[in-house]
Amino acid sequence: MFDLFREISQTIKNNRSRTILTGLAVAWGIFMLIVLLGAARGVVNNFNDFSSDSSVNYINIWSGYTSLPYKGYRDGRRIRMKDSDMDEIKGEVKAATDASISATASGFNINGPKDYISGGFNAVYPGAQRSERLKMKEGRFINTRDLEELRRSIVLHTDNAELLFGSSEKALGNQVRAMGLSWKVVGIYSHRWRKDSYVPYATYKSITGGDGKVDEMNIKIGGITTEEEALATEKEIREVLARRHEFDPADENAVWIWNQFANYLSQGQAIVYLNLAVWVIGILTLLTGIVGVSNIMFVSVRERVHEIGIRRAIGAKPRSIIMQILTESVVITTLFGYIGIVSGMALLQVLSKVLTDELGFSNPTVDITIALEVTVALIAAGALAGLFPALKATKVKPVEALHDE
Amino acid sequence: MIGHLNEETVISLRDINKTYPGAVPLHVLKDISLDIRKGELVSIMGASGSGKSTLLNILGILDNYDSGTYMLDGTAIRDLSENRAAELRNRMIGFVFQSFNLISYKNALENVALPLFYQGIGRKKRNRLAMEQLERMGLADRAHHLPGELSGGQKQRVAIARAIVTNPSLILADEPTGALDSITSGEVMGVFRELNESGMTIVIVTHDPGVGASTNRIIRIADGRIEGSSDTPDFKKEQ
Ligand SMILES: Nc1ncnc2c1ncn2[C@@H]1O[C@H](COP(=O)(O)OP(=O)(O)OP(=O)(O)O)[C@@H](O)[C@H]1O
Ligand SMILES: [Mg+2]
Repeated sequence: MFDLFREISQTIKNNRSRTILTGLAVAWGIFMLIVLLGAARGVVNNFNDFSSDSSVNYINIWSGYTSLPYKGYRDGRRIRMKDSDMDEIKGEVKAATDASISATASGFNINGPKDYISGGFNAVYPGAQRSERLKMKEGRFINTRDLEELRRSIVLHTDNAELLFGSSEKALGNQVRAMGLSWKVVGIYSHRWRKDSYVPYATYKSITGGDGKVDEMNIKIGGITTEEEALATEKEIREVLARRHEFDPADENAVWIWNQFANYLSQGQAIVYLNLAVWVIGILTLLTGIVGVSNIMFVSVRERVHEIGIRRAIGAKPRSIIMQILTESVVITTLFGYIGIVSGMALLQVLSKVLTDELGFSNPTVDITIALEVTVALIAAGALAGLFPALKATKVKPVEALHDE
Repeated sequence: MIGHLNEETVISLRDINKTYPGAVPLHVLKDISLDIRKGELVSIMGASGSGKSTLLNILGILDNYDSGTYMLDGTAIRDLSENRAAELRNRMIGFVFQSFNLISYKNALENVALPLFYQGIGRKKRNRLAMEQLERMGLADRAHHLPGELSGGQKQRVAIARAIVTNPSLILADEPTGALDSITSGEVMGVFRELNESGMTIVIVTHDPGVGASTNRIIRIADGRIEGSSDTPDFKKEQ
């Protein structure tokens, strides 16, 4: 085996510039493939992060204004959902496994020992943590007991906790004042852009004696796998609300619906296509490489007909000629392919520092199993590339080859 | 021709015919019958196109023939597989060509060692055996030179070293002096005679009457037929 490699390194040296040119083409192809795979992986990772930290199986609904006249009502009418809509939807829409509501209370300040924040808070159900994608840093989110016992609990954004108390550690377990009452800080969360404060919906309703009007409703969806089903569920929800609030079910503006789940499913589809595209490109790259290496091996065999004739005359069996050409092809492909893999991975390392989550990439790298798979593919490609030239080499007749100078 | 039955026969041809196919098929060898005994130094002479190289290629299992029988060292050479032919060539025959046929990017030592590579012999032993043959050819100091850096005579001696490195029963040489001047030719023939004296059987195809005269038998071939075979008393005198 060692002898074989010695033979090969000699013949490669003998055809240095052609080998290097083709080799670089292979290296470039593999390099591009690795970078593409890495970039696609980055997009997929980003998508997965997004969907795992949030659970995407939600449909969010906001109150809106009608845009179509209906049953004697004029258009432009304000529609305000009520908390009772939630139970109705849960009861009627099969795919709705859970729901939460959110009412925005505004026009007052939240006061802490150090400072105050203006605006108000959102009165919510525990489900808001998941649907709003809030990462708890300390404490907990609003829970069912808060609602049942009408506790005056409040969850703050970490920036606001710092503002009100000087530091978020001092905030947890302490009191803030809002609407003339004191509220206990039970949790502190972080989020890229949300800053709202959250209190239990039931507590808020009991304080204000409210009319049950809510601004936002989040429906959790279950038992659904296709985009069509997700869209059908959205339609069912709209129909329930249309009936209860007397608007045209075709009116898209009476309530605004953000069907995250349908988006997720269609994005998932896009990711499948993205992966597919990368593999198609990859396979085409590899095929181009095979054709390139195969070509140089053909040229090499043709140029070495005389040499092959000499080898045959002094006792080389067809098998050893085949082995030599095949190994040569595999060595060229694997060597330069490897250069491509390594430089591609190096570039991805740099890119993973530059391309961040905000740009739609998370950790755009290729793991070692993919590198190994590519290596195996390279060896197979090299063997395939060398196969036909090798078979051609065995067709060389020693008598004729020896004449040929 | 079929005398000397007491002596061991290396090559035995009976009624060998060979036709090159083509638009006009060419009947090159016609009923060739021939015996060459162990330890002979034979030359084959004849006009250009008379079929000498064709005959030598058949003897060397580089080409096949259409009818007749060929026994090489007791083995029938007929319808051999490529593998078997390669093996026999490697173990029983050493080739020397007019144009040397050395591999240009391998140095003298590597060229000489190559037949041993195909016998699966390890590198160290290969190089030792190859070096021994180069020394025998007086080329030890040229072992690491490429063919391009050697003179014609030196190249041919490297080729001879390669031919004998496997210790074959037969050396076949096609115009081995054809590309050399007369002095160098004389040197190369000297090498062949020495090898023959050490017991090797050698068949040389040549145009050169001088070369023919320095072998111990001349086989004359004309238009694909053996015209005659004669011992060369001159050779004995030269001794
Ligand atoms: N592969 C081939 N196909 C067809 N015809 C061939 C082939 N090889 C040789 N011949 C023809 O066969 C005849 C004998 O050729 P061969 O090479 O044996 O002659 P030769 O005696 O060696 O001649 P020279 O002294 O010129 O080398 C020639 O007429 C040649 O043209
Ligand atoms: Mg000839």
